[in-house]
Amino acid sequence: MTKDGGEMAEEQKKKPCRFWIWALASVVFRLILISFPGNLNLSSRPEVSTPLTSIRRLAEGYWLKQASMSPYAGSMYHGSPLLLSVLGPLTVQRIKGHSFLLCSLVFVIADVLSAMLLRGIGQKLQMAYGLNARLLGVLKSSRDKGILPCGDIAALVYLWNPFTIVSCVGLSTSPIENLAVILSLYGAVTRRVPLAAFGLVMATQLSLYPATLTIPIIFILGYGLDAPPLKLFLQIRSVEKEDTSTSAVSKQAKLKPNTRLPFLWKTVVHFVFWVLLWSLYLLVLCGLSLSKYGGLEEMFTRTYGFILSIEDLSPNIGVFWYFFAEVFDFFRNFFLIVFHVNILFLLLPLAIRLKHRPCFLAFIYLAICSILKSYPSVGDAALYLSLWSLFVNELTDMKFSYFLFCGYLGISLLSPVMHNLWIWRGTGNANFYFGNAIGYACFQIVFVVESVSAMLNHDRSLRKSNSNHREVEN
Amino acid sequence: MKILLLVMLLFYSFASSSGDTTIHTNNWAVLVCTSRFWFNYRHMANTLSLYRTVKRLGIPDERIILMLADDMACNARNEYPAQVFNNENHKLNLYGDNVEVDYRGYEVTVENFLRVLTGRHENAVPRSKRLLSDEGSHILLYMTGHGGDEFLKFQDAEELQSHDLADAVKQMKEKRRFKELMIMVDTCQAATLFNQLQSPGVLAIGSSLKGENSYSHHLDSDIGVSVVDRFTYYTLAFFERLNIYDNASLNSLFRSYDPRLLMSTAYYRTDLYEPHLEEVPVTNFFGSVMETIHTDSAYKAFSSRISNSKINSEDDHKEDFQNANIPNDDVKTEKQKCPYTQMRADLHEKLKKLENTDTMVNLGIAVMILVVMVSSSLL
Amino acid sequence: MCKPDQYHSLYKHHFLSPELRDLLRNARSAVIQVSDRLRRFSLDPIMARLVLSLITLLILQSVWVTIAFESKHVEEFSEELLLKPLPDRKVLAHFHFENRAPPSNSHGRHHHLFPKAISQLVQKFRVKEMELSFTQGRWNHEHWGGFDPLSSMNAKPVGVELWAEFDVPQSQVDTSWKNLTHALSGLFCASINFLESSTSYAAPTWGFGVNSDKLRYGSLPREAVCTENLTPWLKLLPCRDRDGISALMNRPSVYRGFYHSQRLHLSTVESGEEGLGSGIMLEQTLTVVLQPDSISGEANIQPSWSLSSLFGRNIVGRCVLAKSSNVYLQLEGLPSHELKNVDPETEADKFWKNAEFELSLKPDRILREINSFLYMFDIDKSSDREPFDLGLTWKLPSKWSCQQAPLHSTRFLMGSGNERGAIAILLKATESQEKLSGEDLTNGRCTIKANIFQIFPWYVKVYYHTLQIFVDQQQKPGSEVLKKINVSPSTDKVSSGMMEMMLELPCEVKSAAISIEYDKGFLHIDEYPPDANQGFDIPSALISFPNHHASLDFKEELSKSPLLSKFKEKSLVRSYTEVLLVPLTTPDFSMPYNVITITCTVFALYFGSLLNVLRRRIGEEERYLKSQAGKRTGKLKQLLSRLKAKIRGRPIEEAPSSSTESQTEVQSSVFSSKLLFKIILVAGAAAAWQYFSTDK
Repeated sequence: MTKDGGEMAEEQKKKPCRFWIWALASVVFRLILISFPGNLNLSSRPEVSTPLTSIRRLAEGYWLKQASMSPYAGSMYHGSPLLLSVLGPLTVQRIKGHSFLLCSLVFVIADVLSAMLLRGIGQKLQMAYGLNARLLGVLKSSRDKGILPCGDIAALVYLWNPFTIVSCVGLSTSPIENLAVILSLYGAVTRRVPLAAFGLVMATQLSLYPATLTIPIIFILGYGLDAPPLKLFLQIRSVEKEDTSTSAVSKQAKLKPNTRLPFLWKTVVHFVFWVLLWSLYLLVLCGLSLSKYGGLEEMFTRTYGFILSIEDLSPNIGVFWYFFAEVFDFFRNFFLIVFHVNILFLLLPLAIRLKHRPCFLAFIYLAICSILKSYPSVGDAALYLSLWSLFVNELTDMKFSYFLFCGYLGISLLSPVMHNLWIWRGTGNANFYFGNAIGYACFQIVFVVESVSAMLNHDRSLRKSNSNHREVEN
Repeated sequence: MKILLLVMLLFYSFASSSGDTTIHTNNWAVLVCTSRFWFNYRHMANTLSLYRTVKRLGIPDERIILMLADDMACNARNEYPAQVFNNENHKLNLYGDNVEVDYRGYEVTVENFLRVLTGRHENAVPRSKRLLSDEGSHILLYMTGHGGDEFLKFQDAEELQSHDLADAVKQMKEKRRFKELMIMVDTCQAATLFNQLQSPGVLAIGSSLKGENSYSHHLDSDIGVSVVDRFTYYTLAFFERLNIYDNASLNSLFRSYDPRLLMSTAYYRTDLYEPHLEEVPVTNFFGSVMETIHTDSAYKAFSSRISNSKINSEDDHKEDFQNANIPNDDVKTEKQKCPYTQMRADLHEKLKKLENTDTMVNLGIAVMILVVMVSSSLL
Repeated sequence: MCKPDQYHSLYKHHFLSPELRDLLRNARSAVIQVSDRLRRFSLDPIMARLVLSLITLLILQSVWVTIAFESKHVEEFSEELLLKPLPDRKVLAHFHFENRAPPSNSHGRHHHLFPKAISQLVQKFRVKEMELSFTQGRWNHEHWGGFDPLSSMNAKPVGVELWAEFDVPQSQVDTSWKNLTHALSGLFCASINFLESSTSYAAPTWGFGVNSDKLRYGSLPREAVCTENLTPWLKLLPCRDRDGISALMNRPSVYRGFYHSQRLHLSTVESGEEGLGSGIMLEQTLTVVLQPDSISGEANIQPSWSLSSLFGRNIVGRCVLAKSSNVYLQLEGLPSHELKNVDPETEADKFWKNAEFELSLKPDRILREINSFLYMFDIDKSSDREPFDLGLTWKLPSKWSCQQAPLHSTRFLMGSGNERGAIAILLKATESQEKLSGEDLTNGRCTIKANIFQIFPWYVKVYYHTLQIFVDQQQKPGSEVLKKINVSPSTDKVSSGMMEMMLELPCEVKSAAISIEYDKGFLHIDEYPPDANQGFDIPSALISFPNHHASLDFKEELSKSPLLSKFKEKSLVRSYTEVLLVPLTTPDFSMPYNVITITCTVFALYFGSLLNVLRRRIGEEERYLKSQAGKRTGKLKQLLSRLKAKIRGRPIEEAPSSSTESQTEVQSSVFSSKLLFKIILVAGAAAAWQYFSTDK
């Protein structure tokens, strides 16, 4: 998908209206796929629908609720009660024998929305990139040809990513989770604090993991958008000190540090306040909707508890299910703790190292979560891949990109085969499918590591070019 | 005078405390067939023929723990329903009218086996499934199945390792659950199963050495599988000649094993067993021969027996009471709530009052969306 | 070890009434004790004999007194056997033993006939009603009948079925259930204790027929049933299988049958008056369907049989402890047109010796039912010399059919693969339906009510919202057909699911089907049985027709026969469906260690590589290397430094690029020597380890 992003970019340069054509085409494509009966059996694929995001479980929960039982009775539904009360009514009424049609329409809309928001984020980032580049003197002219329109690219990557399409047509609720995440990022980038807080709280409530996004969002609000490390500007400043030429760049650079340095506490406090407000509101709503049944304790045990203590051992593209199906019971808790802490371990180092690029930090966090989460699905991959393509400008010289592309392709082709061999034919073995999952995890890890190192290298290269440019000057 | 009494008491207590002075009171047998599936018919036949032998030699049914991993007698493949034979001349139906299987099918696991040996059951387990031996009892432990180097397979699913066996036996010794224990194992490489044993008073017989297989004796063409293993076959051949009263020694049993017939060399581990095998009659383990103790009054023994039974019944009742009490405790714990939950409960009560919460929730969501838009557009 | 009752073991072949014998035994022991005492006192023998005789007199007197006293309410035992030729050339034998313990004060309960084990069970666990059945084979509803009390009571699901109703507070029901299962497993040599776990039993509310909130129900479809289950069951009888009708039970012939169901039903009957506890009624039945080896050549003539040919044994004498011991022969669908108008007084022989068939013995009594005759035999007269060997010889071919339940039910699985599937229950109308009386005319149209009670194990994750109901092949919304539904969904690894639904179908319905989808669960590696690849069982569903009741109503007034009175009272028509076998996917049992290590390796890869990327500074290395290269030093030193830079990953901060040559030289040499030393050390260690590990 990285490649088609690239092609998109070329066409974008030629015709800006081409973007809308492609976006519309993707929507039409989705509608065509939806119109097929039975959603092409995608809704029961383990890659698409996990116990958390499957629509059948949601329908079951709604049925139980209608039968005046707790939606969490039995261990079917593990999602949020709000999702239930929004999507539940849509699951029951079937249009011309075609069940779940309304739900899939909702998902399409969610996809389009998140694509638009991605585009907005991308444009912001693009502007910021151009500004910084000019400040550092990498690009002389203001109307530069070197910058790719990363917003459009990201949006199209999101819309045309097979993972996204599959998880939208396959009726998993991950499009909505992705929408919430992107909403929060958008709010942060456009400095709409309540929106950012709302998106964050919603995403956290839908699936626990986006809670890690708190750090990058606070950085965005505090330090502003992505930029090269601060040292460079200071170096430039020192350069300007000794030579006497006063160019626009130097003026900007003089202003830069004292405008850049302060951390905007006010916005952050504002943000925290809104987060508290929204979470309180959501808790009240959930408590209201579950008041007849177990109440909030039941909700937390059945959603977050279900995520953290991995109870459902049905196969998915993660590595946990098989591990916990095989591990000895007396080690279970230990490994649970270790694996979950594994996510938290690297949050801090990453934050320290990448604090000047908060959006990229958010992308890295999401990628890590989608590797290490209990019930991963391709929807998460779709999210972080499209976020990744927001940074095409910085990550142009990323290594192994073709290798990774082939890896993702091969895994996504092999996984159904292995699953079919094991589950349906009964000829294969669980190890085949698990090996597939392991391979997927490895590719994701390489992807994350490579993109991080590429970003760091990009900063270094900026510095080097900056120093060369200085030598040229004097 | 008193001092003398006290000294005597001391001596008495010391004597009673030391285990080996206890007299041989009763005999127990634990007979285990660990392998499942029809083609392992012979293992069940082995176990059942041992069962029949020890019953014939006087161990009552309530002192035999019989574990059969599968049901061969009423198996659909068995063309002689409710019958099991260990010889192709179907003279003797091992599965007579009066067989009592204590653990069968999926119950025959390593866990249950070790629980039986060490006597660590949960309260509800009935007495019939427990090995209620004491420090004066002789226990015969017979196991057959598929084994290997220092392990014995249970139902092709899990293994009993020689360490586990040794630990269980050691624990039994410390709990004074036996005076003398005889372990008889008919598997491949049976001898390796005894490597870790170290408790005194244990005598071990294995059908084959390390690296040797123990083979089946012959095949019954009507039943379609081989019906008995060689080691057990010749053991039975030895015991068929005996009745409850003649005292053939263990040594004669051991000598009766002929490696050429067994096609494997039987292994005896006697270093943990003090008495000379020449003196020990086989009925010490395979039968139940009590030497009667003469007392002046019938009543003392009688009363003591009564008291024993009373004690047993009492602790049974205790167990029942425990079982009955568990829910009560739960109730109590539920009774005392912290104020927080109390308050929450009240809140729930209030919430239950108001009607159609779903519409309210939907309204709330709509309101939320509105607020998001407004706030994000304004701020 | 299924303990025998030590009372019963004493008087196997005596012909005294039990309580008298009991008291006499006590007396005897007392006399002996007294004599011992006297001997202790060392009185002279004559004196002693005198005293003894006196004491014996006294005791005997007391015996008579006690007998007179106890005869008010005594324990009753009765044994009966019903034989019934079946349309498909088989013969059904139904043994029925009933044992009543009268209400007595709960403490100091003293039993003569009633098995002590059972009464202890009832007292310990406060069982109000309980039924335990061991079954092999499947009841053939088409040929063996589905609408008579026999089938509705004795057609049981395969394996073990246990349900019990308790008389304890609601919070303790589960505890008593657990203890009861353990006790029964000890008593009947079966692994009933598997019903202890909450994933295997359920608490039906109304679907089971008995409405109580203290009822628990569980079944083990795969439990083997064999001799070791029958023996303890027989030991509950006063005469075991030594005397009376139970002497017929020759194990091989019983277990060779097509169907055998061994049932134990006990219920406590509350006594009106104060101070007395509740009496217990124990009902033991064994139902066997046997194939007589037919001597007659022609195929269409029913095979002739006799007790000895069926069981290989005879009845010699009745069980002396039984109040009544009778044998019945039920002939259905006879050519009754000529028998109807025959009156039993004058020409009774017509009934049992006519052109069509002939009985080997003369019945003592003949009972007439609507469409069957019941010949009653009393086995008192039989003895060792001429044993009671009832036989039936057919002379003419005769065909008849049994009365069937309104709807015939089958259950099957749909779908393939190990991921998901669907369960369907199909109710087909039987031809005997229209002439049934059971339908009630609710608001004009006549309807059949059918209750479906089904337990789902937790690894069958049912989607109740996919419940579909088809009536005559077209789908109906639930509101039309579904009167009531009660669902308790299953929780993973905690509790099993239960579904009770009441369908109300029109009488003219040809077929009705319900289908419901499910996902297959994935278990932990320890939760699979040893033969995991055989698959898992879904216990059979119970279909009952709440407003159809089966009963036999006899024209003649009945003698006090428990079996016949049981048949006379109305019993709910119920039928069990097949047991379903669900294959589940299995993980690889052999390599947990590989999975653990590989997964942990992946995590290590993630952590290590990412941390490495975060902490290395390539730019400064390059600078350092450049500074090294810039200086005209020896090739070796350059190589070393480059190597060192590579290995150490980052240069020392306190060595800036502007350091003088000498410093760097020194440092480099020092580092190189250190490095060499390190390498050599590691290599040596490795070599040593290799050596020591291999030679052993």
